Amino acid sequence: MRFPFLYTKFTILRSLTAKVTSFENQGGLKMEQKKKGMTLIAKQKAAGWAFLTPATLMIAVMSFYPMIRAFILSLQTGKGANYRFTGFSNYARMFEDRVFLRSVGNTFFYLAIQVPIMLVLAILLAQLLNNRDLRFKGLFRTCVFLPCATSLVSYAIIFRFLFAQDGLVNNALVKLGLLDQGFNFLGTAWSAKMVIIIALVWRWTGYNMVFYLAGLQNIEYSVYEAAKIDGANGWKTFWGITVPLLKPTIIMTFIMSINGTLQLFDESVNLTNGGPANATITMSHYIYNTCFLRAPNFGYGSAMAFFVFIIVAILAFINLKVGDTRD
Amino acid sequence: MKKKLLSVLLVGAMAFSLTACGGGSDDSSSGGGDSGSDEGGSSGGDKLVVWTWDPAFNIPAIEEAGKIYKETVNDKFELEVVETLSDDCETKLQTCAESGDFGTMPDIVLMQDNSYQKFVSFYPEAFTDLSDSGIDFSQFAEGKLSYSTVDGKNYGVPFDNGAVVSCYRTDILDQAGYSIADITDIDWDKFIEIGKVVKEKTGKYMLSGQANSQDIIMMMLQSAGASLFNEDGTPNLVGNDPLNECIDIYQKMVKEGIFYEVNEWDEYVSSITNEQCAGTINGNWIMATIMGMEDTSGLWEITNMPKLVKTADATNYSNNGGSSWYVTSNCKNTDLAFDFLAKTFAGSEDLYSNILPTTGAIGTWGPAGESEAYQAPQEFWNDKPIYSTIVEYAELTPTNNTSAYYYDVREVISTAIQDIMTGADAESTLEQAQADAEFYYQ
Repeated sequence: MRFPFLYTKFTILRSLTAKVTSFENQGGLKMEQKKKGMTLIAKQKAAGWAFLTPATLMIAVMSFYPMIRAFILSLQTGKGANYRFTGFSNYARMFEDRVFLRSVGNTFFYLAIQVPIMLVLAILLAQLLNNRDLRFKGLFRTCVFLPCATSLVSYAIIFRFLFAQDGLVNNALVKLGLLDQGFNFLGTAWSAKMVIIIALVWRWTGYNMVFYLAGLQNIEYSVYEAAKIDGANGWKTFWGITVPLLKPTIIMTFIMSINGTLQLFDESVNLTNGGPANATITMSHYIYNTCFLRAPNFGYGSAMAFFVFIIVAILAFINLKVGDTRD
Repeated sequence: MKKKLLSVLLVGAMAFSLTACGGGSDDSSSGGGDSGSDEGGSSGGDKLVVWTWDPAFNIPAIEEAGKIYKETVNDKFELEVVETLSDDCETKLQTCAESGDFGTMPDIVLMQDNSYQKFVSFYPEAFTDLSDSGIDFSQFAEGKLSYSTVDGKNYGVPFDNGAVVSCYRTDILDQAGYSIADITDIDWDKFIEIGKVVKEKTGKYMLSGQANSQDIIMMMLQSAGASLFNEDGTPNLVGNDPLNECIDIYQKMVKEGIFYEVNEWDEYVSSITNEQCAGTINGNWIMATIMGMEDTSGLWEITNMPKLVKTADATNYSNNGGSSWYVTSNCKNTDLAFDFLAKTFAGSEDLYSNILPTTGAIGTWGPAGESEAYQAPQEFWNDKPIYSTIVEYAELTPTNNTSAYYYDVREVISTAIQDIMTGADAESTLEQAQADAEFYYQ
């Protein structure tokens, strides 16, 4: 969810491939009719490949090549820029690194708590805002989506100010008489985690809602009307119609959310700075620290990045299998 | 159709102007070498590109140096200062070094003394050796010089010293019935006693600091010549008596409500500027921030820091921060860079006395301390000649062991202290911290 562009790139690539294949299929039929001279077909094919090439090349150079280099780097260690191959030692090191294991724990904690809350909220909001009789729909939709337009860094910093010891939230709680003095939200382990989750929900719910709204728009209204005539109440239509028909969208948002949460970085850095005592540090944040804040260890950093990559791949695979309705 | 055409035109215009923006910023970040190449450092001529941070401190200092050099030596001299946060300087330098391409580096860069050992031991190829540059290093304080020296070679020209000062609001102390003399040359026990009274009578904390980067502990340790490191740079966290005492004192201060723990640097600054605290203890560069509070002029005074009670070699003097100028390996016109540094930061009394009133930057270049500017009383600081006082403090500061892994270990100990503060057993936490620190050395 943080970097959906990769996903988009793949989608574009896939649809282009589909087009090329359909060109070929059509070509196959026509070929039989007109064996001599493949001019038109060949032209179409060439055009298809021509459209594909730039995107493919860009992805290969900008994404895949760095990935391969990062993998090679992850097999190396060394002081400064003098690297030598040490096999999988960096990968072994990871499992002895207390802070890294803690960051894995933290990240999965966010994943387990935040993603379900966010997606449920998003689907409920989408359902509400999809109501035909609702006035000012556009306005409400914009309001819910707006947090997404804020920069990650600036919203994280604003949340930090809100939850500071003399921030707005504490001031309000003190003025309401709920607290005697400001509570150190970001200096206490459990509350710091909660603040991160609240921030994430605020920032990303609207984003996911838009996908659900788009999905809902594809469901024929007559399906709901038929259900109503059969006597289904709101709850039943929601579970019987909306959720099954939205399934592809739900799976997509799930994968994107998992991917995004596992790569969580800005919030950890800017909101809590990983503190208190590494209680909120995420994997990506720790990787960054290893490379840039500490005595630099880029090989180890790359190894950890690959660990994240593998986890994302596994989770996405499980998700797809679970969501697959074909027999 | 017209609409479509219009929108295409608009998008085109936007895309064009955005590319132009990108191009523009490329040009400016390239430092504009004379030949217009995309090198970071200037490619010769009379121009130098410098990276430094803090518009209240380092930037005016280097600009003044540029002005002096232009007036006295070379009237074609040009200096381009690119404001780059300390962390960003380090990140950028590291990225350059890792990729082996120093093309975007400036000619001169300022670096924190505590970071430099790490950089020079990991990326020696990024810096130019200044030993034979004609700069006279004998006039700098030796302790300061050791930060930028490796294997007997000088890599940096020392700039400000980080002698620790305690700054207090005399009006707040007064309300609690104390004067600055009561809080001078004391130990931490006495300090806590005073702090309790101040808290009780005024509701203000005595000090504040970031819980996640323990400056105060580092200062306490150095005041007794102790540190987190053994002589060979390996971590020394278990059975380190001065460290244990520092942690005890820190714990006591937080529990008694004398020390206000914050999470971020800006909260630390605002705890001072919002008058939540009666004072602060830090490297003397913090005075530039305090002097930003113009309406409190005359209410502040400085003194030395409290000393440890149980540790044998305890003093009231310490050091925190301070930085030095380095010439990068991307500098094409090294002669100019050497000459510039030799005739300003290592050779101009005027420079140091000119920047003193505006920035409060105290040099470590011997002759500067003798200039009259240092003896002048400062209105903001209750008309006391604070600068000569700080030079005195600097001379009394004990040296201690440091390491290329300074920040790694400081982070480990900060984490450990936070754990101890929330009730973890001190001994086992420190043992774990030692293991964590040793892990980073592998």
